[in-house]
Amino acid sequence: MVDEIRTCERCESPVEEGDLRCAICGQTVPAATQRRTEVQVQILRCEGCGAAVEYDASVQAPRCAFCDSVMHLEELVDPMEQTELFLPFTIGGEEARGAVKAWLGSLGWFRPPDLKQRASVEGVRPLWWVGWAFDADALVSWTADSNAGSHRAAWAPHSGQARLRFDDIVVSASRGLTDEEVAAVVPHYSLAGAAAESTPPEGVTAEQFDVQRSQARARVVHAVERMSAKVIEEEHVPGSSFRKVQVAPLLRSLVTHRYSFPAWVMAYRYEEKVYRAVVCGQNAECVIGKAPYSVPRILLAVFGGIAALVVLAVVIAAIVAAS
Amino acid sequence: MIETATLPEALEITCKNCGAELVLEAHLRTAECPYCASTSIVERPSSGVRVDPTFALGFVVERERARALATQWIKSRGIFTKSDFKKAIPERGRGLYMPVFLYGAIAHTTYECDIGENYTETYTTIDSKGRPVTRTRTVTEWRSLAGRHTTYVQDVLVTASRGIPNALLEKVEPFDLRALRRYTPALLSGWIAEEASVSSEECRKLAHDESLENVGRELDGFMPGDHHRNLRYQTRLEDEVSELVLLPVWVFAVRPSETEDPIQILVNGQTSEVAGDVPRSWVKIVAGVLVGIGLAFLVWIVIASLFLID
Repeated sequence: MVDEIRTCERCESPVEEGDLRCAICGQTVPAATQRRTEVQVQILRCEGCGAAVEYDASVQAPRCAFCDSVMHLEELVDPMEQTELFLPFTIGGEEARGAVKAWLGSLGWFRPPDLKQRASVEGVRPLWWVGWAFDADALVSWTADSNAGSHRAAWAPHSGQARLRFDDIVVSASRGLTDEEVAAVVPHYSLAGAAAESTPPEGVTAEQFDVQRSQARARVVHAVERMSAKVIEEEHVPGSSFRKVQVAPLLRSLVTHRYSFPAWVMAYRYEEKVYRAVVCGQNAECVIGKAPYSVPRILLAVFGGIAALVVLAVVIAAIVAAS
Repeated sequence: MIETATLPEALEITCKNCGAELVLEAHLRTAECPYCASTSIVERPSSGVRVDPTFALGFVVERERARALATQWIKSRGIFTKSDFKKAIPERGRGLYMPVFLYGAIAHTTYECDIGENYTETYTTIDSKGRPVTRTRTVTEWRSLAGRHTTYVQDVLVTASRGIPNALLEKVEPFDLRALRRYTPALLSGWIAEEASVSSEECRKLAHDESLENVGRELDGFMPGDHHRNLRYQTRLEDEVSELVLLPVWVFAVRPSETEDPIQILVNGQTSEVAGDVPRSWVKIVAGVLVGIGLAFLVWIVIASLFLID
């Protein structure tokens, strides 16, 4: 990166170009250059024609009444998010196709027996889906009702504070992949291999972030809250059941990067129906998708189970009668 | 087109356009020549006492719109408002960049609270026919809870202008602070900007009070259980940040009659929110109460006579 990375003086989260205040804690970002002038009194003139200018509420900028030129002011910029790091595809299309075939054969007995042979993989498309990965420290204050320590009522109130560390937590910004698909492939990426540029396979669909920076931050902060609540529920609330878990995370050093993650998306057809499967672009063993069930086999299992129960009952009855 | 000479407090300036002598009053940052409406800006040099604003929020609402909003607001006041006031036309509207203290901190709070957890119990009672019956009822068990809570307090705004009380500013809040721009004199050109006239200690105190209120509200939603009561908390505000910002407001003075003080109406120059202190008419309020009592009496008579007929 060319620019020197600036961080907030208070919460140590990085501050991006154009930020006036820290998005996490609200600390003022100092101006890059000092505008201290020697003149006692300043008169503002139009850069175009030299006439005096006036701030115009309709354009929300100073405008020259004579030549209509509008002055530019430094303001909060809110650009569209763009990928800064690409994770390379480490498996190819053929490998991905093979992975799906192998996966179809490994789904178990309740699937059609000929699924692997008769499924025809139709489209194999490389996809660079987009998302954020963040690191953060959080001091999480929490309260909850839990069954631990309860008296007459089923619930007793509890509270606490915990320091949590989040590393490489991925938040999806993808429209192409479902949340379920993202959750399945994310653990198989190695973020360390990311680079500012990467050669994609032929015909890659490169998703774009379709949110602005401010919305992106809101989504990341929301994800931190969700993650915090999950960790608190799992590790900090005492007892075996709980309700009304409230968390208030105080974020520090929230570092977010924008990634493009590689995946192979493919459609396969089995008996006139199309199903979809996604292969992690960095690990052929990670496949997630939909697959048909075999109705005859399920019915067979159900009737088999009933038959077994009937036989068992008859045997027991016979034993009882014999004794 | 204004040339200036510097004075310690009030600044004397000469309009180059029409030659008029102007005085930039001590409490203002900018001036406009009232004679030729030359819209140049004058930037007062920052001294040890004066603090330069860090951010400013540009005007979005234009003069005519602000006046229309204020007029409509006056007309739509309740029935107990003085009639003179409702007929008044807002005068002397001016777009003003008011100095505001923008405050934030980390709030460390320790709290204690009584948390109510509900449960159902069965009990035996006698019904209307004298037979014992079993019923259920919801009972609240009160438990005490103590804990700590840490959060950022952000975007607390308090007035730094003696002319506009904090309560009035609160009524036209919120401002969308995402649109803040780094302060530049260009933003003020042609508009009036006031200097901060409330000391930063006083502002800080107001900001502390408002922060504690915010923390209390947050704690209220933070408590578990089915109910809670008797919330006590102590908050320590640390890592404070405070900046002087200029916010756009339209100020209108309305004088219901010659003998009375003018009433200030504030229009948020960004969001069009209107607020002001409505003068109540005691005559109308007393009349209203009397009419109410009279109506209640009438209803009572009607009901009583219906029962008598029965």
